[in-house]
Amino acid sequence: MGLLGAVICGLAVGPTPIGVGRVLGDLASHVGLGHTTLSSLQSTVIWQLRAPRLVLGLVAGAMLSVAGGTYQGVFRNPLADPYLLGVAAGAGLGATFAIVDVGAGLSTPAWTPLLAFVGAMGAVALTWLVGGRGLRSNASSLILAGVAVSSLLTSLQTFLQQSSSTSIARVYIWLLGSLASSSWNSVTMVLPYVVVCTVICVLAGGALDVMSVGDDESRTLGLPVRRVRLIVIGASSLGTAAIVSAVGLIGFVGIIVPHIVRLLVGTSYRRLLQISVIFGAAFLVYADTIARTVMAPSELPLGVVTALVGAPVFVTILSLRRGDRR
Amino acid sequence: MSAVEVRELSVVAGGATLVRNVSLTVEPGTWCTIIGPNGAGKTTLVETLVGLRRATHGSVHVGGVDLASMNERTRARTVSLVPQHPVVPSGMTVHDYVALGRMAHHGLFRAASTSDQAIIDSVLDRLALLSMRHRDVATLSGGERQRMVVARAMAQSTMVVVLDEPISGLDLRHQMEILELLKREVIECGLTVIATLHDLTLAGQFADRLVLLDRGEVVLDGRSVDVVRSPELARSYEMNLRVVEVDGLDVVVPVRS
Repeated sequence: MGLLGAVICGLAVGPTPIGVGRVLGDLASHVGLGHTTLSSLQSTVIWQLRAPRLVLGLVAGAMLSVAGGTYQGVFRNPLADPYLLGVAAGAGLGATFAIVDVGAGLSTPAWTPLLAFVGAMGAVALTWLVGGRGLRSNASSLILAGVAVSSLLTSLQTFLQQSSSTSIARVYIWLLGSLASSSWNSVTMVLPYVVVCTVICVLAGGALDVMSVGDDESRTLGLPVRRVRLIVIGASSLGTAAIVSAVGLIGFVGIIVPHIVRLLVGTSYRRLLQISVIFGAAFLVYADTIARTVMAPSELPLGVVTALVGAPVFVTILSLRRGDRR
Repeated sequence: MSAVEVRELSVVAGGATLVRNVSLTVEPGTWCTIIGPNGAGKTTLVETLVGLRRATHGSVHVGGVDLASMNERTRARTVSLVPQHPVVPSGMTVHDYVALGRMAHHGLFRAASTSDQAIIDSVLDRLALLSMRHRDVATLSGGERQRMVVARAMAQSTMVVVLDEPISGLDLRHQMEILELLKREVIECGLTVIATLHDLTLAGQFADRLVLLDRGEVVLDGRSVDVVRSPELARSYEMNLRVVEVDGLDVVVPVRS
Protein backbone atom coordinates (compact mmCIF):
# COMPACT_ATOMS: atom_id res chain seq x y z
CA MET A 1 0.00 0.00 0.00
CA GLY A 2 2.84 2.35 0.90
CA LEU A 3 4.53 1.62 -2.39
CA LEU A 4 1.31 2.16 -4.34
CA GLY A 5 0.84 5.47 -2.52
CA ALA A 6 4.39 6.45 -3.45
CA VAL A 7 3.73 5.63 -7.11
CA ILE A 8 0.57 7.76 -7.13
CA CYS A 9 2.39 10.58 -5.32
CA GLY A 10 5.26 10.41 -7.78
CA LEU A 11 2.93 10.74 -10.75
CA ALA A 12 0.22 13.04 -9.44
CA VAL A 13 1.98 15.50 -7.13
CA GLY A 14 4.01 18.36 -8.54
CA PRO A 15 4.06 22.03 -9.51
CA THR A 16 1.67 21.30 -12.41
CA PRO A 17 -1.53 20.20 -10.61
CA ILE A 18 -3.00 17.04 -12.15
CA GLY A 19 -5.68 15.19 -10.17
CA VAL A 20 -5.08 11.62 -9.01
CA GLY A 21 -8.24 10.46 -10.80
CA ARG A 22 -7.10 11.90 -14.12
CA VAL A 23 -3.65 10.33 -13.73
CA LEU A 24 -5.28 6.96 -12.99
CA GLY A 25 -7.61 7.49 -15.97
CA ASP A 26 -4.61 8.14 -18.19
CA LEU A 27 -2.89 5.02 -16.82
CA ALA A 28 -6.04 2.99 -17.57
CA SER A 29 -6.25 4.39 -21.10
CA HIS A 30 -2.78 2.97 -21.80
CA VAL A 31 -4.10 -0.53 -21.22
CA GLY A 32 -7.20 0.08 -23.35
CA LEU A 33 -9.64 1.09 -20.61
CA GLY A 34 -11.46 4.36 -21.36
CA HIS A 35 -10.00 7.60 -22.68
CA THR A 36 -7.48 9.97 -21.19
CA THR A 37 -8.61 13.45 -20.10
CA LEU A 38 -5.07 14.84 -19.99
CA SER A 39 -3.81 17.51 -22.39
CA SER A 40 -0.70 16.67 -24.37
CA LEU A 41 1.35 18.97 -22.09
CA GLN A 42 0.03 17.19 -19.01
CA SER A 43 0.72 13.85 -20.64
CA THR A 44 4.31 14.94 -21.35
CA VAL A 45 4.72 16.08 -17.73
CA ILE A 46 3.52 12.70 -16.51
CA TRP A 47 5.33 10.40 -18.92
CA GLN A 48 8.50 12.28 -19.76
CA LEU A 49 9.22 14.08 -16.49
CA ARG A 50 7.48 12.44 -13.54
CA ALA A 51 7.41 8.79 -14.63
CA PRO A 52 11.17 8.39 -15.27
CA ARG A 53 11.83 10.34 -12.09
CA LEU A 54 9.45 8.03 -10.21
CA VAL A 55 11.04 4.87 -11.64
CA LEU A 56 14.58 6.11 -10.96
CA GLY A 57 13.52 7.06 -7.42
CA LEU A 58 12.06 3.60 -6.86
CA VAL A 59 15.13 1.73 -8.13
CA ALA A 60 17.55 4.12 -6.37
CA GLY A 61 15.72 3.76 -3.05
CA ALA A 62 15.52 -0.01 -3.42
CA MET A 63 19.17 -0.42 -4.38
CA LEU A 64 20.63 1.92 -1.75
CA SER A 65 18.50 0.32 0.97
CA VAL A 66 19.27 -3.26 0.06
CA ALA A 67 22.97 -2.42 -0.38
CA GLY A 68 23.02 -0.73 3.04
CA GLY A 69 21.37 -3.76 4.67
CA THR A 70 23.78 -6.07 2.91
CA TYR A 71 26.81 -4.07 4.02
CA GLN A 72 25.51 -4.04 7.61
CA GLY A 73 25.22 -7.83 7.45
CA VAL A 74 28.47 -8.63 5.73
CA PHE A 75 30.48 -6.33 8.01
CA ARG A 76 28.37 -7.08 11.09
CA ASN A 77 28.40 -3.34 11.66
CA PRO A 78 25.22 -1.31 12.24
CA LEU A 79 26.96 1.86 11.02
CA ALA A 80 27.80 0.41 7.62
CA ASP A 81 26.22 2.05 4.59
CA PRO A 82 26.63 1.54 0.83
CA TYR A 83 29.38 4.16 0.73
CA LEU A 84 31.57 2.35 3.29
CA LEU A 85 34.18 1.08 0.84
CA GLY A 86 34.70 4.34 -1.01
CA VAL A 87 31.87 4.32 -3.58
CA ALA A 88 30.82 7.86 -2.65
CA ALA A 89 34.33 9.31 -2.58
CA GLY A 90 35.27 7.62 -5.85
CA ALA A 91 32.07 8.69 -7.56
CA GLY A 92 32.51 12.21 -6.19
CA LEU A 93 36.03 12.43 -7.60
CA GLY A 94 34.91 11.07 -10.97
CA ALA A 95 31.95 13.42 -11.18
CA THR A 96 34.02 16.42 -10.10
CA PHE A 97 36.60 15.57 -12.75
CA ALA A 98 33.82 15.65 -15.33
CA ILE A 99 32.11 18.81 -14.07
CA VAL A 100 35.26 20.88 -13.47
CA ASP A 101 36.93 22.09 -16.63
CA VAL A 102 40.39 20.58 -16.21
CA GLY A 103 41.40 21.88 -19.65
CA ALA A 104 42.91 20.23 -22.69
CA GLY A 105 39.53 18.71 -23.51
CA LEU A 106 40.02 16.10 -20.78
CA SER A 107 36.58 16.49 -19.26
CA THR A 108 33.06 17.53 -20.04
CA PRO A 109 29.98 17.59 -17.77
CA ALA A 110 28.33 15.12 -20.16
CA TRP A 111 30.71 12.47 -18.88
CA THR A 112 29.54 12.88 -15.27
CA PRO A 113 27.60 9.59 -14.99
CA LEU A 114 30.32 7.60 -16.72
CA LEU A 115 33.21 9.05 -14.70
CA ALA A 116 31.21 8.79 -11.46
CA PHE A 117 30.62 5.11 -12.17
CA VAL A 118 34.28 4.51 -13.06
CA GLY A 119 35.39 6.42 -9.96
CA ALA A 120 33.04 4.46 -7.70
CA MET A 121 34.12 1.05 -8.97
CA GLY A 122 37.78 2.12 -9.03
CA ALA A 123 37.53 3.16 -5.38
CA VAL A 124 36.02 -0.19 -4.33
CA ALA A 125 38.67 -2.07 -6.30
CA LEU A 126 41.39 -0.01 -4.60
CA THR A 127 39.85 -0.68 -1.18
CA TRP A 128 39.70 -4.38 -1.98
CA LEU A 129 43.36 -4.41 -2.99
CA VAL A 130 44.55 -2.35 -0.02
CA GLY A 131 42.35 -4.21 2.47
CA GLY A 132 43.97 -7.59 2.08
CA ARG A 133 43.98 -8.51 -1.56
CA GLY A 134 40.63 -9.96 -2.38
CA LEU A 135 39.70 -13.34 -1.04
CA ARG A 136 42.14 -13.21 1.86
CA SER A 137 40.64 -10.00 3.19
CA ASN A 138 38.59 -9.83 6.35
CA ALA A 139 35.82 -7.44 7.35
CA SER A 140 37.89 -5.19 9.62
CA SER A 141 40.75 -4.71 7.17
CA LEU A 142 38.27 -3.84 4.41
CA ILE A 143 36.52 -1.23 6.58
CA LEU A 144 39.85 0.38 7.49
CA ALA A 145 40.97 0.33 3.87
CA GLY A 146 37.63 1.90 2.90
CA VAL A 147 38.18 4.74 5.37
CA ALA A 148 41.70 5.35 4.03
CA VAL A 149 40.69 5.22 0.36
CA SER A 150 37.65 7.46 0.99
CA SER A 151 39.79 10.04 2.79
CA LEU A 152 42.37 10.06 0.01
CA LEU A 153 39.83 10.37 -2.80
CA THR A 154 37.78 12.98 -0.93
CA SER A 155 40.88 15.13 -0.45
CA LEU A 156 41.67 14.83 -4.17
CA GLN A 157 38.07 15.68 -5.00
CA THR A 158 38.15 18.75 -2.73
CA PHE A 159 41.42 19.91 -4.29
CA LEU A 160 39.97 19.54 -7.78
CA GLN A 161 36.74 21.27 -6.79
CA GLN A 162 38.52 24.23 -5.18
CA SER A 163 40.73 24.68 -8.22
CA SER A 164 37.75 25.81 -10.29
CA SER A 165 35.57 28.36 -8.53
CA THR A 166 33.13 28.58 -11.44
CA SER A 167 31.91 25.00 -11.06
CA ILE A 168 31.80 24.66 -7.26
CA ALA A 169 28.02 25.13 -7.14
CA ARG A 170 27.42 22.44 -9.77
CA VAL A 171 29.72 20.04 -7.93
CA TYR A 172 27.86 20.66 -4.67
CA ILE A 173 24.50 20.08 -6.31
CA TRP A 174 25.75 16.78 -7.67
CA LEU A 175 27.24 15.76 -4.32
CA LEU A 176 23.92 16.34 -2.52
CA GLY A 177 22.07 14.07 -4.92
CA SER A 178 18.98 14.75 -6.97
CA LEU A 179 16.47 13.03 -9.19
CA ALA A 180 15.81 16.26 -11.13
CA SER A 181 17.68 15.20 -14.26
CA SER A 182 15.99 11.78 -14.48
CA SER A 183 15.12 10.54 -17.93
CA TRP A 184 14.14 7.24 -19.49
CA ASN A 185 17.69 7.11 -20.76
CA SER A 186 19.11 7.16 -17.23
CA VAL A 187 16.52 4.57 -16.15
CA THR A 188 17.51 2.14 -18.90
CA MET A 189 21.17 2.80 -18.11
CA VAL A 190 20.97 1.76 -14.43
CA LEU A 191 18.09 -0.72 -14.46
CA PRO A 192 20.02 -3.84 -15.60
CA TYR A 193 22.68 -3.31 -12.92
CA VAL A 194 20.13 -2.64 -10.22
CA VAL A 195 17.93 -5.64 -11.04
CA VAL A 196 20.83 -8.10 -11.11
CA CYS A 197 22.53 -6.65 -8.02
CA THR A 198 19.30 -6.43 -6.00
CA VAL A 199 18.45 -10.05 -6.78
CA ILE A 200 21.94 -11.19 -5.72
CA CYS A 201 21.75 -9.20 -2.47
CA VAL A 202 18.27 -10.47 -1.60
CA LEU A 203 19.29 -14.06 -2.34
CA ALA A 204 22.30 -13.60 -0.06
CA GLY A 205 20.00 -12.93 2.92
CA GLY A 206 20.35 -16.51 4.17
CA ALA A 207 24.14 -16.28 3.99
CA LEU A 208 24.11 -13.02 5.94
CA ASP A 209 22.00 -14.67 8.65
CA VAL A 210 24.72 -17.31 8.98
CA MET A 211 27.45 -14.67 8.96
CA SER A 212 25.88 -12.99 11.98
CA VAL A 213 27.76 -15.55 14.13
CA GLY A 214 31.14 -14.41 12.80
CA ASP A 215 33.51 -15.63 10.12
CA ASP A 216 34.95 -18.67 11.90
CA GLU A 217 31.65 -20.06 13.13
CA SER A 218 30.09 -19.42 9.71
CA ARG A 219 32.79 -21.53 8.11
CA THR A 220 32.13 -24.40 10.53
CA LEU A 221 28.45 -24.14 9.56
CA GLY A 222 29.37 -24.68 5.91
CA LEU A 223 29.52 -21.15 4.53
CA PRO A 224 32.35 -20.23 2.12
CA VAL A 225 32.66 -16.88 3.90
CA ARG A 226 35.25 -15.14 1.75
CA ARG A 227 33.60 -16.10 -1.52
CA VAL A 228 30.20 -14.95 -0.25
CA ARG A 229 31.72 -11.69 0.95
CA LEU A 230 33.31 -11.07 -2.44
CA ILE A 231 30.06 -11.72 -4.32
CA VAL A 232 27.86 -9.72 -1.94
CA ILE A 233 30.19 -6.71 -1.70
CA GLY A 234 30.67 -6.81 -5.46
CA ALA A 235 26.92 -6.77 -6.12
CA SER A 236 26.18 -4.07 -3.54
CA SER A 237 28.99 -1.85 -4.79
CA LEU A 238 28.16 -2.28 -8.47
CA GLY A 239 24.49 -1.50 -7.92
CA THR A 240 25.31 1.49 -5.73
CA ALA A 241 27.86 2.79 -8.26
CA ALA A 242 25.23 2.58 -11.01
CA ILE A 243 22.72 4.52 -8.91
CA VAL A 244 25.23 7.12 -7.76
CA SER A 245 26.35 7.73 -11.34
CA ALA A 246 22.76 8.60 -12.25
CA VAL A 247 21.49 10.50 -9.21
CA GLY A 248 24.55 11.64 -7.26
CA LEU A 249 25.17 11.01 -3.59
CA ILE A 250 21.88 10.50 -1.80
CA GLY A 251 22.84 9.94 1.79
CA PHE A 252 21.06 8.39 4.74
CA VAL A 253 18.74 6.02 2.81
CA GLY A 254 21.22 3.14 2.86
CA ILE A 255 21.76 3.33 6.58
CA ILE A 256 18.33 4.37 7.87
CA VAL A 257 15.97 2.17 5.83
CA PRO A 258 17.50 -1.19 6.88
CA HIS A 259 17.39 -0.04 10.51
CA ILE A 260 13.74 0.98 10.29
CA VAL A 261 12.89 -2.33 8.60
CA ARG A 262 14.86 -4.24 11.24
CA LEU A 263 12.81 -2.57 13.96
CA LEU A 264 9.62 -3.56 12.15
CA VAL A 265 10.32 -7.14 11.00
CA GLY A 266 13.23 -8.37 13.11
CA THR A 267 16.85 -9.14 12.43
CA SER A 268 16.61 -11.99 9.88
CA TYR A 269 18.36 -10.80 6.72
CA ARG A 270 16.16 -13.02 4.56
CA ARG A 271 13.14 -10.87 5.47
CA LEU A 272 15.00 -7.63 6.13
CA LEU A 273 16.49 -7.36 2.64
CA GLN A 274 13.23 -8.26 0.87
CA ILE A 275 11.26 -5.67 2.83
CA SER A 276 14.05 -3.09 2.47
CA VAL A 277 13.65 -3.23 -1.32
CA ILE A 278 9.99 -2.19 -1.06
CA PHE A 279 10.37 0.15 1.89
CA GLY A 280 13.45 1.87 0.43
CA ALA A 281 11.77 2.36 -2.95
CA ALA A 282 8.70 3.96 -1.36
CA PHE A 283 10.77 5.99 1.11
CA LEU A 284 12.88 7.67 -1.56
CA VAL A 285 9.88 8.52 -3.75
CA TYR A 286 8.09 10.15 -0.80
CA ALA A 287 11.28 12.04 0.09
CA ASP A 288 11.63 13.19 -3.52
CA THR A 289 8.00 14.29 -3.62
CA ILE A 290 8.72 16.49 -0.60
CA ALA A 291 12.00 17.71 -2.13
CA ARG A 292 10.36 18.92 -5.31
CA THR A 293 7.17 20.38 -3.84
CA VAL A 294 7.82 22.19 -0.54
CA MET A 295 9.80 25.00 -2.19
CA ALA A 296 8.40 24.68 -5.71
CA PRO A 297 9.41 25.65 -8.30
CA SER A 298 12.91 25.27 -6.82
CA GLU A 299 13.93 21.95 -5.23
CA LEU A 300 15.50 20.93 -1.97
CA PRO A 301 18.52 18.62 -2.19
CA LEU A 302 17.20 15.08 -1.87
CA GLY A 303 19.90 14.08 0.62
CA VAL A 304 18.71 16.85 2.95
CA VAL A 305 15.12 15.59 2.80
CA THR A 306 16.04 11.91 3.35
CA ALA A 307 17.85 12.92 6.54
CA LEU A 308 15.16 15.36 7.68
CA VAL A 309 12.39 12.81 7.15
CA GLY A 310 14.33 9.65 7.95
CA ALA A 311 15.83 10.65 11.27
CA PRO A 312 12.51 11.49 13.04
CA VAL A 313 10.84 8.37 11.59
CA PHE A 314 13.71 6.25 12.83
CA VAL A 315 13.76 7.81 16.30
CA THR A 316 9.96 7.44 16.60
CA ILE A 317 10.02 3.74 15.69
CA LEU A 318 13.00 3.18 17.98
CA SER A 319 11.24 4.76 20.94
CA LEU A 320 8.01 2.85 20.19
CA ARG A 321 9.92 -0.44 20.14
CA ARG A 322 11.66 0.42 23.39
CA GLY A 323 8.25 1.10 24.88
CA ASP A 324 7.10 -2.38 23.77
CA ARG A 325 9.99 -4.05 25.55
CA ARG A 326 9.32 -2.36 28.89
CA MET B 1 37.13 -47.29 10.45
CA SER B 2 38.12 -44.63 12.97
CA ALA B 3 35.91 -41.58 13.39
CA VAL B 4 38.92 -39.28 13.54
CA GLU B 5 42.50 -40.00 12.63
CA VAL B 6 45.16 -37.35 13.14
CA ARG B 7 48.43 -38.26 11.46
CA GLU B 8 51.71 -36.58 12.42
CA LEU B 9 50.01 -33.19 12.60
CA SER B 10 52.09 -30.04 12.99
CA VAL B 11 50.75 -26.50 12.91
CA VAL B 12 53.12 -23.56 12.62
CA ALA B 13 51.85 -19.97 12.86
CA GLY B 14 53.76 -16.72 13.18
CA GLY B 15 57.03 -18.61 13.37
CA ALA B 16 55.91 -20.65 16.40
CA THR B 17 55.12 -24.36 16.33
CA LEU B 18 51.73 -24.55 18.06
CA VAL B 19 51.14 -28.28 17.52
CA ARG B 20 54.04 -30.66 16.93
CA ASN B 21 53.81 -34.10 15.38
CA VAL B 22 50.49 -35.09 16.99
CA SER B 23 48.99 -38.45 16.08
CA LEU B 24 45.63 -39.44 17.47
CA THR B 25 42.88 -41.91 16.69
CA VAL B 26 39.33 -41.59 18.02
CA GLU B 27 36.89 -44.47 17.60
CA PRO B 28 33.23 -43.89 16.69
CA GLY B 29 30.83 -43.49 19.60
CA THR B 30 33.54 -42.62 22.10
CA TRP B 31 34.49 -39.51 24.04
CA CYS B 32 38.04 -38.21 23.90
CA THR B 33 39.04 -35.22 26.02
CA ILE B 34 42.16 -33.18 25.38
CA ILE B 35 43.68 -31.74 28.53
CA GLY B 36 46.76 -29.67 29.16
CA PRO B 37 47.91 -26.36 30.64
CA ASN B 38 47.23 -23.01 28.97
CA GLY B 39 49.27 -22.65 25.80
CA ALA B 40 49.53 -26.41 25.31
CA GLY B 41 47.97 -26.18 21.83
CA LYS B 42 44.48 -27.49 22.66
CA THR B 43 42.56 -24.76 20.84
CA THR B 44 44.91 -24.91 17.84
CA LEU B 45 44.32 -28.66 17.63
CA VAL B 46 40.55 -28.13 17.90
CA GLU B 47 40.60 -25.50 15.14
CA THR B 48 42.55 -27.86 12.90
CA LEU B 49 40.12 -30.70 13.61
CA VAL B 50 37.22 -28.62 12.25
CA GLY B 51 39.12 -27.12 9.32
CA LEU B 52 39.54 -23.58 10.65
CA ARG B 53 43.31 -23.98 10.47
CA ARG B 54 45.39 -25.73 7.87
CA ALA B 55 47.90 -28.36 8.91
CA THR B 56 51.46 -27.29 8.18
CA HIS B 57 52.41 -30.96 8.10
CA GLY B 58 50.39 -34.13 8.47
CA SER B 59 46.67 -34.61 8.04
CA VAL B 60 43.28 -34.97 9.73
CA HIS B 61 40.93 -37.65 8.44
CA VAL B 62 37.30 -37.72 9.56
CA GLY B 63 35.29 -40.80 8.63
CA GLY B 64 38.24 -41.89 6.49
CA VAL B 65 38.24 -38.71 4.35
CA ASP B 66 40.98 -36.09 4.47
CA LEU B 67 39.49 -32.88 5.92
CA ALA B 68 41.66 -30.78 3.60
CA SER B 69 39.97 -32.32 0.55
CA MET B 70 36.46 -31.27 1.68
CA ASN B 71 34.75 -27.98 0.85
CA GLU B 72 33.14 -25.99 3.66
CA ARG B 73 29.71 -27.51 3.17
CA THR B 74 30.88 -31.12 3.20
CA ARG B 75 33.06 -30.42 6.21
CA ALA B 76 30.09 -28.90 8.08
CA ARG B 77 28.16 -32.14 7.45
CA THR B 78 31.05 -34.20 8.80
CA VAL B 79 32.30 -32.38 11.89
CA SER B 80 30.70 -29.64 14.00
CA LEU B 81 32.15 -27.22 16.54
CA VAL B 82 31.02 -25.80 19.86
CA PRO B 83 33.39 -22.83 20.16
CA GLN B 84 34.79 -21.56 23.42
CA HIS B 85 33.40 -18.07 22.88
CA PRO B 86 30.41 -18.39 20.57
CA VAL B 87 29.00 -15.28 18.92
CA VAL B 88 25.35 -14.99 19.96
CA PRO B 89 23.60 -12.40 17.76
CA SER B 90 20.91 -10.58 19.71
CA GLY B 91 17.53 -10.37 18.03
CA MET B 92 17.74 -13.94 16.71
CA THR B 93 15.40 -16.53 18.20
CA VAL B 94 16.63 -19.78 19.75
CA HIS B 95 14.93 -21.71 16.94
CA ASP B 96 16.59 -19.65 14.20
CA TYR B 97 19.98 -19.97 15.88
CA VAL B 98 19.72 -23.77 16.13
CA ALA B 99 18.39 -23.89 12.55
CA LEU B 100 21.71 -22.41 11.34
CA GLY B 101 23.07 -25.91 11.95
CA ARG B 102 20.94 -27.24 9.06
CA MET B 103 22.25 -24.76 6.46
CA ALA B 104 24.94 -27.14 5.25
CA HIS B 105 22.18 -29.70 4.52
CA HIS B 106 19.47 -27.62 2.83
CA GLY B 107 21.80 -25.08 1.20
CA LEU B 108 21.86 -21.31 1.17
CA PHE B 109 19.02 -20.59 -1.19
CA ARG B 110 16.46 -23.07 0.12
CA ALA B 111 14.48 -22.95 3.30
CA ALA B 112 14.60 -25.81 5.80
CA SER B 113 12.62 -28.83 4.56
CA THR B 114 10.16 -30.72 6.74
CA SER B 115 12.86 -33.27 7.56
CA ASP B 116 15.26 -30.44 8.51
CA GLN B 117 12.51 -29.00 10.71
CA ALA B 118 11.91 -32.40 12.31
CA ILE B 119 15.61 -32.65 13.18
CA ILE B 120 15.60 -29.12 14.63
CA ASP B 121 12.52 -29.92 16.74
CA SER B 122 14.06 -33.17 17.93
CA VAL B 123 17.29 -31.45 18.97
CA LEU B 124 15.37 -28.66 20.73
CA ASP B 125 13.40 -31.31 22.57
CA ARG B 126 16.43 -33.40 23.57
CA LEU B 127 18.21 -30.33 24.91
CA ALA B 128 15.14 -28.98 26.75
CA LEU B 129 14.91 -25.88 24.56
CA LEU B 130 11.45 -26.39 23.04
CA SER B 131 9.70 -24.10 25.49
CA MET B 132 12.10 -21.24 24.77
CA ARG B 133 12.32 -21.66 20.99
CA HIS B 134 10.82 -18.24 20.29
CA ARG B 135 12.94 -16.37 22.83
CA ASP B 136 15.58 -13.87 21.81
CA VAL B 137 18.98 -15.52 22.29
CA ALA B 138 20.18 -12.41 24.14
CA THR B 139 17.72 -13.15 26.97
CA LEU B 140 19.08 -16.61 27.81
CA SER B 141 21.11 -17.46 30.91
CA GLY B 142 24.65 -18.79 30.51
CA GLY B 143 23.53 -22.41 30.91
CA GLU B 144 20.63 -22.07 28.48
CA ARG B 145 22.86 -20.36 25.97
CA GLN B 146 25.46 -23.10 26.10
CA ARG B 147 22.73 -25.74 25.62
CA MET B 148 21.60 -23.78 22.57
CA VAL B 149 25.12 -23.70 21.10
CA VAL B 150 25.42 -27.45 21.64
CA ALA B 151 21.99 -27.84 20.01
CA ARG B 152 23.20 -26.01 16.90
CA ALA B 153 26.12 -28.44 16.64
CA MET B 154 23.71 -31.38 17.11
CA ALA B 155 21.46 -29.99 14.37
CA GLN B 156 24.40 -30.33 11.96
CA SER B 157 23.94 -34.13 12.34
CA THR B 158 27.66 -34.76 12.11
CA MET B 159 29.37 -37.98 13.17
CA VAL B 160 31.89 -35.96 15.23
CA VAL B 161 31.29 -32.99 17.54
CA VAL B 162 34.30 -30.99 18.71
CA LEU B 163 33.86 -28.81 21.81
CA ASP B 164 36.37 -26.21 22.97
CA GLU B 165 35.98 -25.66 26.71
CA PRO B 166 32.21 -26.25 26.64
CA ILE B 167 31.71 -25.66 30.37
CA SER B 168 33.86 -22.60 30.98
CA GLY B 169 31.93 -19.87 32.74
CA LEU B 170 29.12 -22.18 33.87
CA ASP B 171 28.18 -23.01 37.45
CA LEU B 172 28.63 -26.58 38.69
CA ARG B 173 25.04 -27.66 38.00
CA HIS B 174 25.13 -26.39 34.45
CA GLN B 175 28.58 -27.88 33.87
CA MET B 176 27.22 -31.29 34.81
CA GLU B 177 24.06 -30.72 32.78
CA ILE B 178 26.02 -30.00 29.57
CA LEU B 179 28.40 -32.92 30.06
CA GLU B 180 25.58 -35.35 30.96
CA LEU B 181 23.57 -34.51 27.87
CA LEU B 182 26.65 -34.95 25.70
CA LYS B 183 27.34 -38.30 27.35
CA ARG B 184 23.76 -39.34 26.62
CA GLU B 185 24.26 -38.49 22.94
CA VAL B 186 27.46 -40.58 22.91
CA ILE B 187 25.77 -43.59 24.51
CA GLU B 188 22.34 -43.41 22.86
CA CYS B 189 23.16 -41.97 19.43
CA GLY B 190 26.73 -43.15 18.89
CA LEU B 191 28.05 -39.59 18.69
CA THR B 192 31.82 -39.14 18.71
CA VAL B 193 32.91 -36.33 21.05
CA ILE B 194 36.27 -34.58 21.16
CA ALA B 195 36.42 -31.93 23.85
CA THR B 196 38.96 -29.79 25.60
CA LEU B 197 38.46 -29.30 29.33
CA HIS B 198 40.36 -27.60 32.12
CA ASP B 199 38.57 -29.46 34.92
CA LEU B 200 40.61 -32.64 35.27
CA THR B 201 38.07 -34.36 37.52
CA LEU B 202 35.21 -33.90 35.08
CA ALA B 203 37.53 -34.71 32.18
CA GLY B 204 38.35 -38.04 33.82
CA GLN B 205 34.76 -38.84 34.76
CA PHE B 206 33.15 -38.25 31.36
CA ALA B 207 35.78 -39.16 28.79
CA ASP B 208 36.61 -42.68 27.67
CA ARG B 209 40.06 -41.46 26.86
CA LEU B 210 42.29 -38.55 27.83
CA VAL B 211 45.04 -36.99 25.75
CA LEU B 212 47.48 -34.76 27.61
CA LEU B 213 49.02 -32.04 25.47
CA ASP B 214 51.99 -29.99 26.60
CA ARG B 215 53.86 -27.44 24.48
CA GLY B 216 52.07 -28.72 21.40
CA GLU B 217 53.03 -32.36 21.86
CA VAL B 218 51.14 -35.38 23.12
CA VAL B 219 52.60 -36.33 26.49
CA LEU B 220 50.05 -38.94 27.52
CA ASP B 221 47.31 -40.75 25.64
CA GLY B 222 45.27 -43.46 27.32
CA ARG B 223 42.30 -44.53 29.41
CA SER B 224 41.02 -41.73 31.61
CA VAL B 225 41.73 -43.63 34.80
CA ASP B 226 45.37 -44.17 33.79
CA VAL B 227 46.06 -40.61 32.61
CA VAL B 228 44.49 -39.00 35.68
CA ARG B 229 46.71 -41.09 37.97
CA SER B 230 49.90 -40.58 35.99
CA PRO B 231 52.70 -38.49 37.57
CA GLU B 232 53.18 -36.90 34.12
CA LEU B 233 49.98 -34.93 34.72
CA ALA B 234 51.42 -33.00 37.67
CA ARG B 235 54.68 -32.44 35.80
CA SER B 236 52.89 -30.90 32.81
CA TYR B 237 50.85 -28.57 35.01
CA GLU B 238 53.97 -27.85 37.14
CA MET B 239 52.08 -28.27 40.41
CA ASN B 240 51.20 -30.78 43.07
CA LEU B 241 48.14 -32.84 42.25
CA ARG B 242 46.55 -35.54 44.33
CA VAL B 243 43.94 -38.04 43.16
CA VAL B 244 41.36 -39.17 45.73
CA GLU B 245 38.56 -41.64 45.15
CA VAL B 246 35.00 -40.64 45.96
CA ASP B 247 32.27 -43.25 45.42
CA GLY B 248 34.54 -45.07 43.00
CA LEU B 249 35.30 -41.94 40.95
CA ASP B 250 38.68 -40.21 40.73
CA VAL B 251 38.80 -36.62 41.94
CA VAL B 252 41.88 -34.56 41.07
CA VAL B 253 42.76 -32.13 43.84
CA PRO B 254 45.39 -29.39 43.53
CA VAL B 255 47.58 -29.11 46.61
CA ARG B 256 49.42 -25.96 47.68
CA SER B 257 53.15 -26.44 47.65
